[in-house]
Amino acid sequence: MPKRWEVYPGKSQVLCSGRCISAKNLSVFYLTLALIVISSCLFLAFDCRLLAVTLSPSVPVLAAVQFIFVLCCLLRTTFSDPGIIPRGTPDEAAWIESQLEGPQVDRDGNYRPPVRLKDVQINGRVFKLKYCFTCKLWRPPRSSHCSTCDNCVDRFDHHCPWVGNCVGRRNYRYFYLFLISLSVYCLYVMVFGIVNLVLLSNMRKDFLMAMKESPTSVLTILVAFFSIWSVVGLGGFHTMLICRETSTNEDIKGSFNQRRHPDLINPFDQGNGLANCCFVLFGPVTPSLLNFREDEIGLGSSISLVTNNGRNGASAAAASTAVTATPAVRYSNLTRNNNDAASNSVGHVNNSVQVISESLPAQLPGDGNDVIVKNGNGAPADGVISGGTDAVGAQNSNTQSASSVHCIV
Amino acid sequence: MSSSKPLPNSSSATILPPANKAFVPRDYSHGTELRFSTELPAKLQGRIPEEVFTAVIGNINQLLIAAETGSASVYLESCFACLTGYLAYICMETQYEKCLRSVSRLVEEYNRTVFGPRNLSMIDPSERGLRVIEIVLLRP
Repeated sequence: MPKRWEVYPGKSQVLCSGRCISAKNLSVFYLTLALIVISSCLFLAFDCRLLAVTLSPSVPVLAAVQFIFVLCCLLRTTFSDPGIIPRGTPDEAAWIESQLEGPQVDRDGNYRPPVRLKDVQINGRVFKLKYCFTCKLWRPPRSSHCSTCDNCVDRFDHHCPWVGNCVGRRNYRYFYLFLISLSVYCLYVMVFGIVNLVLLSNMRKDFLMAMKESPTSVLTILVAFFSIWSVVGLGGFHTMLICRETSTNEDIKGSFNQRRHPDLINPFDQGNGLANCCFVLFGPVTPSLLNFREDEIGLGSSISLVTNNGRNGASAAAASTAVTATPAVRYSNLTRNNNDAASNSVGHVNNSVQVISESLPAQLPGDGNDVIVKNGNGAPADGVISGGTDAVGAQNSNTQSASSVHCIV
Repeated sequence: MSSSKPLPNSSSATILPPANKAFVPRDYSHGTELRFSTELPAKLQGRIPEEVFTAVIGNINQLLIAAETGSASVYLESCFACLTGYLAYICMETQYEKCLRSVSRLVEEYNRTVFGPRNLSMIDPSERGLRVIEIVLLRP
């Protein structure tokens, strides 16, 4: 039974048996990593020797803490799912595409491609949703298809080669914190590199001699100096975007550019910059929807192919395949018996499960009596669901282990 | 009329949607909120009363919308994770994951009480990447 990551159709690179995902081409990422790691190692190994003694031992400690934080944010950005929307199943695709107006030839003999837009009104503003023929889904608002990775990404910002991954809803906060922490770190390294050279030149009474004695300081200062311009610039740009609750993609397209078009309001804007910052950086983050570590059981395709000349019945019956069992419930290892132990951690949400069920009408309208399921010989089975409903039976037996929850970063 | 350009997809086969599945699409009218449409699909007409279906989807929507709401506990959890360099996520379950887990339990309960007796089976939307709620018609 293959795992879902083994049958993943996109162009991203899946690593660590489905636990990590990144772009296929990581060469520029390796350059970023090398620059950060090598400069930091040189700074900590050489510059900090004098600084720790002369100034304070907290200088290298703070540098190390910042270095670790920068690395954590960078690795999280690179190897986490940016918010990839899993591709639609063949059945979903057939259902959606059957509703789309198909390709047509108009009176002049020109080919018109299938219409794949639909309008949706969100808080007073009309959005056009596009149907993605590659991913077989209606793209949610703010999402976009990345051609490098061949995925639709939720709240797509941009594809960053320096980081080696798309930046989307799930990893935007890591990307932004990487930029900010790297800006601070570059400044820190540059300042203390200069301080180190100054201290050394005071001791040797000659600046050039100091530079010759500590050439690594010169190197780290130069690397930090040239990095600062781009990193701080990009950090400032993204700070502005966050305060306006806009993504790079939307900024480039001018989706919310009210200066040109006053009716292009941003319905996602919470009103003030601080609220937007808090929501983007510390708001709820969806878990990865790819579920790479689970088995690819087979999504139960029952597509019927018919020919245009109308011989539907026979060919449909012959061509349709049976529905295979699908795991209907992802967390079904939590049975009713051990629900209590698990439910205490969920708090009020779990208690409401019972309450919500009770809020449904007890007497189902239109049935007359309570729902009774009959077994094979026609006698009522006292409310017990009898066998024969294969998919329901399969649901209860296809349990997923809870350890599969924390599988993809 | 001049000769028409050949259609790119000149296969004569037309794909029909599956006869034994109904799909409930996402409702984007309130933005990127996680909610599904409460409109009863045509294939389920007569299989399940409309008000029951609306109540079921409404309850699922309530849980999903709660998952996406930025509450104080969500912000605190994210701040704490940030301070640990996001290493806390290795051993911590987010509020969102807890909400999706409760949706899974709710779907299981509905399959037992509402859909199962009507020979229907609802697929957990997490299994479909939160794109649609798929309802399988077990018997025609």
